[in-house]
Amino acid sequence: MSRLRRSSKVMRLWDWSVPPTSAHREVLSIVPEGWIDAPRATRKPPILFVHGLAHGAWCWREHWMPAAAERGFPVYAVSLRGHGDSGGRKRLGRTLLRHYVHDVMQTITELPQQPVLVGHSMGALVSQLVADRYSPRGLALLTPAPIQGAAYEMPKLIRKRPLDAAKVLAGGTLPLRAEQLFTGLDEATAARYVDRLGRESPWAQYELLLPHRIGPVRCPVLVVGTPDDRVVDEKAVEVTAAAYGVDPVWLPGIGHDLMLDGGWEKALSVVLDWVDERC
Amino acid sequence: MSDVIDRGGAWAVVGAGPHGLSALKNLLQLGLDADGFERDTDLGGNWNFHAENSRVYESTHLISTKPFTQFPDFPMPDAYPDYPSHWQVHRYFRSYAEHFGLLDHLHFNSEVVSVTPAADQRWDVTMRDRETGDETTRQYAGVVIANGHNWWPKIPQYPGQDTFTGEIKHSADYKSADVVRGKRVLVVGAGNTGCDVAVESAQNAKETFHSTRRGYYYNPKYAFGRPSDQTADLLLALRLPLALRRVMFKSVLRLTVGDFEKFGLRKPDHEFFETHPIVNQQLVYYVGHGDISPKPDIARFDGSTVHFEDGTSAEIDVVVFCTGYLAHFPFLDDSYLNLDGDHPVLARQIFTPATPTLAVSGLIQPDSGQWTIAHWQGMLIATYAALRAQDPQAAQRFYDAMVAETGVRFTGGAEYKDSTRHYYEIAHQEYLRAIERDLQRIESMTPSVMAAAR
Ligand SMILES: Cc1cc2nc3c(=O)[nH]c(=O)nc-3n(C[C@H](O)[C@H](O)[C@H](O)COP(=O)(O)OP(=O)(O)OC[C@H]3O[C@@H](n4cnc5c(N)ncnc54)[C@H](O)[C@@H]3O)c2cc1C
Repeated sequence: MSRLRRSSKVMRLWDWSVPPTSAHREVLSIVPEGWIDAPRATRKPPILFVHGLAHGAWCWREHWMPAAAERGFPVYAVSLRGHGDSGGRKRLGRTLLRHYVHDVMQTITELPQQPVLVGHSMGALVSQLVADRYSPRGLALLTPAPIQGAAYEMPKLIRKRPLDAAKVLAGGTLPLRAEQLFTGLDEATAARYVDRLGRESPWAQYELLLPHRIGPVRCPVLVVGTPDDRVVDEKAVEVTAAAYGVDPVWLPGIGHDLMLDGGWEKALSVVLDWVDERC
Repeated sequence: MSDVIDRGGAWAVVGAGPHGLSALKNLLQLGLDADGFERDTDLGGNWNFHAENSRVYESTHLISTKPFTQFPDFPMPDAYPDYPSHWQVHRYFRSYAEHFGLLDHLHFNSEVVSVTPAADQRWDVTMRDRETGDETTRQYAGVVIANGHNWWPKIPQYPGQDTFTGEIKHSADYKSADVVRGKRVLVVGAGNTGCDVAVESAQNAKETFHSTRRGYYYNPKYAFGRPSDQTADLLLALRLPLALRRVMFKSVLRLTVGDFEKFGLRKPDHEFFETHPIVNQQLVYYVGHGDISPKPDIARFDGSTVHFEDGTSAEIDVVVFCTGYLAHFPFLDDSYLNLDGDHPVLARQIFTPATPTLAVSGLIQPDSGQWTIAHWQGMLIATYAALRAQDPQAAQRFYDAMVAETGVRFTGGAEYKDSTRHYYEIAHQEYLRAIERDLQRIESMTPSVMAAAR
């Protein structure tokens, strides 16, 4: 925990001297009719979704985006470079988390006002790194990749899934299978989603193992976990929540991909109710 | 005094250039109330081309690249080039203000005409509506002054100057090459503006002379295929010592541009980093093509002739003095800014020892882009303002520690040449390291600031 610094990070020597290259960005959006003309003080804040490892903006488009727009929220989802229909696939082998942070920052500056950031899994970690330099309206972390680094998970992974562990260490994408991501989907649907998963940057995966700093976050934070998550365990969720001084919200019965799994409605309403109440 | 509107705990921000905007944004973000006043009809300050006090000209592009120049929490679009134009910069500031909801807190056409102390370290701020001429006074808990220091022209005087039969202009009046087209032109001064104007004159005038007081290092915008300021930051990041960086920079210049003296330019009389960096790749090129004739300082004017210190002379139609700008605070009594002659001496170039509720943002001239620093100055001021609202005693302790360091400069180890041009010069990394330490200190004093903010 001592690695988690709470004060502003001013010196960003790396970003100044070797700035991230740019890549084409896929940004999906649904803006409810009339929203843009409504007074800023009363209209609902925009929500920006950031996907997790090997996913893409499509995972939000499936259920959450239309449902949240239905509730009056302008919703946006970005595909990080090398994912979904964004560019940068060829350079994936040279992509770091800071490139993902850059992609999210670029997307943010195109939004008409400060969004609520909703990050899933690795996207939750990226969102936290974004919040270290930018003040979003709110920060929702769903089944978040652990801020303290996932290295402690490695022995377990090696014991339970030695082949997967070897693959990750060799720079391959962590295999994500239907039984790890979902608890309540029919086989065909689950297979269809798993089919859409892409590759992940080996360097980003290595970075997930390391501890990361969190900044002086000044906005409301929501941390959501599920006891039935087979990718991010309960301890990781608890540590992340503790770092922000909040209690996690637990959603038993839903799997890691809570925007796609059966019960996604429940998970979405937890997030949107929190936005309505706190942000 | 009954017509003074009491704005309670709110802070006033004078000016809506990049420094004013980021101060306003950070105050609002930390949960304070704040009003911004701008004498022009639009925001952007120097980058608002059509404003009376804008000093950019049609061809102005940044001399620093995006990564360090931009606000760290609002990067410039990827679609912008390395060195954006002033039009793009203006659009960028507008989207910043819109994104963070600043327009609701900005008053345009409002010139601050006086800032005077009230009871309890509060301030009466009087603004004049530039359309109607009406004046109103509001009272604030504190004031951030961000009126810019790049608009009040500094005009030199040479013997015989009144007898000169040609035109005398300051770069403040220079908006495009129309000023020089087809004429015999003398450009005075080798700041970044002076070099830009000399190059533009070389492309448009009949003849161009460029008078400088000393030889300078003219740095290329690109070296080895990378923007050179990013390479400079890399060397700094590696913490290479000043002497080594000097050797490296000089060799890069020699390898890429060549020997200045062979071009007929003077040898610099000072070390690298002792003057504000000049970034201009074209000047040497036009000197090499004979389109710019380098000259030393002016000795005197005589009718249409200008005599130089080396005994040479030239017939001139128009002189453009690119001799810089001075800070100017017509709305505030000098005593609040701890003046040394003509320039304020402050702590971190922000806080004044004269009063704890007045702060200045923008009184800096970094060896880099500026708005990253604008952001952190605004953040430090806002965090301090928030602490004052919550725990005045703790804020006083922070302020006392701050002003104990009044006058401390951040030179990166170099000795700046004595010139009005270097009053506000800072080595950006050394300066920001100090601000980072200040923020660490004040943020640890204010856990509640985090909680109180939205
Ligand atoms: C030609 C030129 C090129 C430059 N190139 C670069 C570059 O490449 N990179 C870089 O980082 N910097 C550059 N600069 C420096 C530039 O000054 C800063 O980038 C920046 O504009 C300073 O911001 P500021 O907010 O302090 O002041 P300004 O931009 O000057 O804004 C001050 C604002 O305050 C307003 N104001 C003043 N007095 C009052 C009053 N009494 N009441 C109400 N409003 C008032 C003014 O109207 C103005 O809008 C350049 C400057 C010039 C002149």
